[in-house]
Formats: sequence, structure tokens, C-alpha cells
Amino acid sequence: MLLRILRHEWRQLSGDATLWLVAGACVMAIGYGVWNGARWVQFQQAAIAEADLEQASRYDALGKQIHALSQPGATVSPFADPRSPSNLGGRLGPKYATLPPAPLAAVAIGQSDLLPYYFKVTTDARENIVSATEIENPNRLLAGRFDLAFVIIFFLPLLILALTYNMVSAEKEQGTLALVLSQPVSTATLVRGKVALRGALLVGVLVVLSAAALLITGADLTAPGAAPRLLMWIAAVSAYAAFWFGLSIFVASLGRSSTANATILATTWLAFVVMTPSLFNLIATSVYPVPSRVELVQAVREASDEANKEGSKLLARYYEDHPELATGDAAQAMTDFNVVRVAVNDDVETRVRPVVLRYERQIAAQQATLNRLQFLSPAILMQNALNDIAGTGTARHQHFLQQVDAFHAAWRGHFVPLIFAKAQVRALDTLPSFTFVEEATAMVWTRVATAAGALLVPAFLLAWA
Amino acid sequence: MISRIARKELREISRDGRYRVMAAVVLALLLLSLAVGWKKYTDLTRQHDTARAATRAQWLNQDKKNPHSAAHYGMYAFKPTSQLAMVDTGIDPYVGVAVWMEAHKQNEFKFRPAQDRTAVQRFGEMTGAEVLQVLLPLFIVLMTFAAFSGEREQGTLRQLMSLGVPSRWLAVGKVAGTAVALGLVLLPATVIGVVAFLWSSGNGLLGGDVTRFAWMVAVYLVYFAALTCIGLAVSATARSSRVSLIVLLTFWFANSLVAPRAASDVAAALHSTPSAVQFQRALEQDLSNQQEMARRLDVRRAALFKEHNVDSVDALPIAFSGVSLQEGEEHANEVFDKHFGRLFSLYERQNQVLQVAGLAAPMLAVRSLSMGLAGTDFNQHRDFVNAAEQYRRGIQRVMNADIALNQKKGQVYLADQSLWQKVRDFEYTAPSTAWVIANCSLSLVILAGWSLGSALLLSRATARLRVD
Repeated sequence: MLLRILRHEWRQLSGDATLWLVAGACVMAIGYGVWNGARWVQFQQAAIAEADLEQASRYDALGKQIHALSQPGATVSPFADPRSPSNLGGRLGPKYATLPPAPLAAVAIGQSDLLPYYFKVTTDARENIVSATEIENPNRLLAGRFDLAFVIIFFLPLLILALTYNMVSAEKEQGTLALVLSQPVSTATLVRGKVALRGALLVGVLVVLSAAALLITGADLTAPGAAPRLLMWIAAVSAYAAFWFGLSIFVASLGRSSTANATILATTWLAFVVMTPSLFNLIATSVYPVPSRVELVQAVREASDEANKEGSKLLARYYEDHPELATGDAAQAMTDFNVVRVAVNDDVETRVRPVVLRYERQIAAQQATLNRLQFLSPAILMQNALNDIAGTGTARHQHFLQQVDAFHAAWRGHFVPLIFAKAQVRALDTLPSFTFVEEATAMVWTRVATAAGALLVPAFLLAWA
Repeated sequence: MISRIARKELREISRDGRYRVMAAVVLALLLLSLAVGWKKYTDLTRQHDTARAATRAQWLNQDKKNPHSAAHYGMYAFKPTSQLAMVDTGIDPYVGVAVWMEAHKQNEFKFRPAQDRTAVQRFGEMTGAEVLQVLLPLFIVLMTFAAFSGEREQGTLRQLMSLGVPSRWLAVGKVAGTAVALGLVLLPATVIGVVAFLWSSGNGLLGGDVTRFAWMVAVYLVYFAALTCIGLAVSATARSSRVSLIVLLTFWFANSLVAPRAASDVAAALHSTPSAVQFQRALEQDLSNQQEMARRLDVRRAALFKEHNVDSVDALPIAFSGVSLQEGEEHANEVFDKHFGRLFSLYERQNQVLQVAGLAAPMLAVRSLSMGLAGTDFNQHRDFVNAAEQYRRGIQRVMNADIALNQKKGQVYLADQSLWQKVRDFEYTAPSTAWVIANCSLSLVILAGWSLGSALLLSRATARLRVD
């Protein structure tokens, strides 16, 4: 019976211009969205390649210079000497910490246009390193991107509503419902058949088109991690679609007219997709406001002034904390500019830390609030899931920042003892390097599965209500 | 007659439950967004004023030191918030709030407020502008889609025409009725907005920039008038209310949600910007051009020798180190002007594409005008960036001139507070309304075109009104 309904529905749908309009709109939106995503991924890859190239050529030159200086009679200004660990770890030899786009990055641009994906790491204080950003026209950041995630979050629900708002009411209005129900078929089976066909069609078309667009624009679906992410993407999109189908079934069960159904569904879409996300954001940012970073700027400034004033006293304290670094002629070292600077940098960071933590706490509180509120908004759930899958969300960036912090610590750990020992660097290949370690796929799975579950539960509740 | 039609239209709209709910929601959101905008504006202004005073005090309270050390210590410029940012924050969350003004270097503005928020902000922030640009148009769609088609379906249109009412009157009356219904929502919000605006202006009740405010109100009213005409025209032409609603909703969706994103991506594809790595590398390459530096110094040295009729640096009555530092600044300034100028004009070309895209989606024209008038668009950001950079160059000139004048050979020269005070405080005045309007003139023309076009559309649609 179900099969017969499916076949009949297909005949009806394919005869209707709506389906072909919807399909055409889908092709264009998906094509444009994926193309935009792919362009952005290529831009990032090019920037990272450029950074690698810059670093390699700089290191090449430094290596040659060090070699030249090892020849007898060669001289260089102490400020430009690459053998000085202070110069090399600071101005001359910084290394990039880069976050490469994840295999499926093209499906959602997410926060990746806003959050920096490479830093030049030096022995300088942390806040001066992580405050770097990518160049972008602020108008573009404001508008957001037309990517596949936008198509799914905003567009897909509208397509579902357009295909389903009158699936039962139209039959009632045409008088065919009574005829159909006089056959040995329940309303539930009828609706199930109608929804199954539309759902399979829509999700099928979406997945096939998106995968095709991804392949055409050069995404490597055989890269490690690409396949599970693609599966997650299909699961998440299906769950999101299921939610909207469930809603439509629920509205159909109210037995109102087609016009009333359309109004109810469109209003729900507006509330869920357009209004609640902005409103929740407003709530989170108002309850946990993050003060302007000008306060941080001033805090760093004041801390540096204080620390510089106390320069030599600080160094004495530093030696107390790190007796292993005190070399024989500690008195002489006290006056050494570079050594004082290490102690000053360290002190600035300690002083500024509480201020930085205050910002981080507020942001974390906003995130926590929204993590709870997202269960009231399918659009936010979906955005988080898609960003997670694409690796362009906050979670992967946090993961990156932690590694940058660790690398920064390692970088300093390498240079500070050399600065104290007043040693000279003779080889560049022993310096620490940064390689991004991808987040465990299981973590991503957990988050995506939670979101999908949170969409599927109401979907089933609505459909069976 | 027209007023009677308008009154009937208003009564019908205001009795509709959908109107009431939507009106209440829009009004509530508008007031909420204004309240939050006002709070954010006052908080930000306070924080920035404090920081400004602090950076000035730090500059003045420097110990005795060489002027060049003071130049390296530098000062910070903090981007002020404009008053109308409480309605439209524009690009402000997406540009840095502070720039370090130090010797030798034009730094970039750091700390974009948007980086301190979650991904949810990308759905849009519930600012006054967002409510006015996204939700109100939807509200207008809801009020107008059935204005003619509904009457046609009920058969009242035929009766009305049989009374000999000119169809143009009918159109004017319906526009007036819708306008009043819309005004019921907009008026309280505007009044409260005006009060908040005047209240928060630092220098008394009339201290705010009233012209900007008046222009902003006018821009939104023209936009709403155009949308009302479009809504009524579609309703008069469409086969049924259902078709009218679908057409108008599609237009709303494309205009408010799709167009900004799609146009921004097209703009980037047409005028691509470099990555920060590329930009920095090219900049540093030009900065470290030693030959150019040497050539400049030679020219300057020769000129000084001629002027003072001497033939060695030591014989000059001024310290050449100050001259050479300043020459370094001049060289760097040219490089910065070239590179930042190129980058900023790329942005401006992208923004030009966005303005032109207003031809397809009037929301883009309104958005650029609204941001411009609020003082939160890219042009005004660039103006502030330039002002800060000119100020930085001023500091260098004062410091280097002092070194040239006072540094004696073989001596350590230390300057004191009297020199720090010679650098005047950084005062920034936002550009005039006329400047803003001139910058968004294209959007203004496009918006005017849309309003004229939509009025024409309505008059043509009603002239050919079918009664059934």
C-alpha cells in the first residue's frame, strides 16, 4: 500500500511545477554555496602555503648568515645577530602556527573568516601573539557568507514547508481525501507515504548535489577524516530535515486549511531561524557582556610600565623562582638587557592573566548560555553541528589555541635558558616546530550526535502527536 | 474619499489578529534592541573615555628619556563609538577597537569585538537596524499582500469600482491606511529613540547630531514607503492572495537574507584582497629598501650642507640623527600610504559592488545609508584610521625635530614633560553629514530610484486593476 502511495505521489509531484522550481533553486543555491566555500578554503590554503614559504626562505637566509658568521673575522651588529637566542626567538626567527582547513571545510565557513588561522609565534608575551588577525573587509564579515550551511539552515526548511504544507489539506480541499480514505488505508500511512517520498527526494537530491559540487570544486573526499565527516554531515542534515518534516506533519494533523498551514509554518520558520538566534545572542551578550578590549590594552600597558620600572628587582625574583637559570656571573647578568626582558615579559603575562581570564570567563559564560538555549532553536543546533563537521567552529579553534599556547611555551622553554646562559645558536634544525594535531573524530561525533538527537526527538514527538 | 478608504484599510488591518501579534512583536523587539543599543553605547563610551584619558596620562607622565624612546613608547588611539551606533552598529563589531601609535610603524587596529562572541552572532545581531531592515519589511508584506487580491476574492472590489471610485484613489487610500498601521509601531519607537538619543548625547539635550538622525529617519521611511507600494502593486496584479503572498515572501527572503551574503561574495570574487601574510611580506619588502633610504638621506644631507654652507655632518648646527630618523619616517610613510591605500581601496571597490547590488535588492542601499549615517560604515572607519595615522606621524615629527635641535654630539640627551606636552591631545571629530551623504550618494540615488519605481509600479498596477 505504502508503495502505491509513493508511486502515486511521485506521479503527482513530478507533474507539478513546484517540484522542478524547487529542484532548480536547489541546484543554484547549492552550487553557489559550495563554490564560495571552496574558494575560501583555497584562499586559506594559499595563505598557509605563503606563510610556510616565507618562513622557509627566512630560515634559509638565517642559516646562511649563521654559517657566514662562523667564519673568522665576520662581524654583525648585536641587534641583527641571528646567533643571539633573544634575536632569533623574537624578531628574526618566529615560526608560524597554522590551522589547516579540515577535509570538509567547504561545507560551512562558520567562524573561520573571523578567527585567525595562523599566528607568528615568538618569545613575546602571549597577548601580543594571539591578537593577530586575517585581513578582511569588515563589510564582508558583517554580511556573512553564502555557503552551503546558509542554504541548509535557512533554505532547506523553506523547501520542506513548500513541499508539505498542503499535502493533506489540499486533498481535503479537492475532495480527494475522502476517496483515498475509503480505501483500506489509514491517514497515518498516507501521511507517512507522502512524507517518506518528499523526505527521500529532498535529502537525496541535497546530498547528491552537494557531494557532486564538493567534488567538482576540488574537495578531496578520500582525505583522512573526510568520510566520517561526510557521514556526520548526512546525519545532521537528515535530522534537521526530519525536524521540519515532523513539524509539518504536526501542523497537518491540526486539520486546518492550506492557507492556515502555510501561515503557521512560515511563522514558525521565522521564529526559529530568524528571530530566536538573534534574540538568544542578545540575551547571552547582555547577561554576560564582554567589556571592550580597550581595558585589556590598558592593562597590558600598565603592567609593562610597572614591570619595566622594576626590571632589575624582577630579575632577582625571577632567579629566586628559577635558580637553575642563574649562571656563575649572576651580577653581570642582572644588567643584561635581554635577560631583564625575559623577566619583564614573564611578569607582564602574570599581571595581565587575571584580566585576560575575565574576558575568557565572560565569553565562556555566553557560550554556556547558548549551549543550553540551543535546544530551543533548531537553527543554532544545526549551525553548531555544521561548523563542527566543517571544523570551522569554536571548538576546533579552541583546540588550535591550546596547541598554540603549548607551542609558545615550548618556544620560550627553548630560548629562555639559552638567553640566560648567553649561549649562541649554531644550528636551526633543533628549534621547535608546530604541527596541528586534529581533534579526535569521536569528540566531533559526540557533539554532532547530540545535536542530531536534539533535533530528532522533537521531530518524532511532533510527527506522532 | 481617500481618507475613508484609508480608514477602512486601517480598521481592517488593525482588526487582523496577525497584525496585532506581529505589531506587538516588532514593537517589543525594536524597543528591546534600542534599550540594549543604548546600554552598549553608554558602556562603550565610558570604557573608551577612561582608556583615552589613561593613555594620555601615561604619555605625559613618562620619565625623562630620549625623545625617540618616547616615540617608541607611543600612545594608543581608541575608536570612539558614534551615538547612532545604538541603532546600527554597522561594521563596528568587525573592526579592531585600538591601534598602537609607535615610531616607524603604522600598526593595524586590533581586537575585533566580534571575536569575543559566539558563532550565534552570525545569525545577525538584534540591533535596531536589523529589526528595521529585516523584520519590518516582513511586517509590511503581511499588511499589504491581500489589500487588493483579498477584496477581489471577497467580491468587494467589484462593488467598490461600481461606485465610481478612481482606482488611483484606492491605491493612495490603501497606502495611507497601511502607513498609519505601520506608524502605530514606528512612532512610539522613534519617539523613544529620539529621547534616548538626546539623553545620551554628552553635551546637553541638543548636542547630538540631529541632521544625521533626521536623515536616518527619512531613509527608513522612504524604504518602507517603497516596500508598501511594491506590496500593494503585487497584490493588485497577482492572480490570488496566495500567489501575492508567495511572490512577496520570496522577494523579502531574497532581499533581506540572501542578497547581502550573495552580493558580498560576488564583490570578493571581483576584487580579491591579499592574505595578511602576503600583505605583511610585501610591506616589509618595501620598508627594508636600503637603497631608497640611502638615496633619500643623500639628498637630504646635500640640501642641509647647501643650506648651512658646510661640508660635514659634524659641522651642521643641528643633530643629523634627528634628521635621519625623520627621513626614515618619511620613507616608511610613503610605503604605508601605498600598501594600506591599495588595501583600503580594494575594500572600497568591494563596497561599491555592494552599493550597485542595491539595484537588485533595495535593502543593500538602505543598509549602506543606515551604516553611513550611524557613523559605523567603512568610510568613517577609514577616516578614523587616517586621523590616527596622521596623529602618529605628528608625534614623530615633534620628537625628531626636538632631537635635531637639542641632541649634542657625544652626549646623552634626555627630554622631559615639557616636550611630551608639545604633542597635543588626540581629538577626533567625525565627518559631517554632507561628507557621509556624498560617500553613499550611489545608494541614495538607488533608493530614490526604487521608491519612484515602486510608486510607478503601483500606479500602473492599479490603472489596470482587474475586478475579478
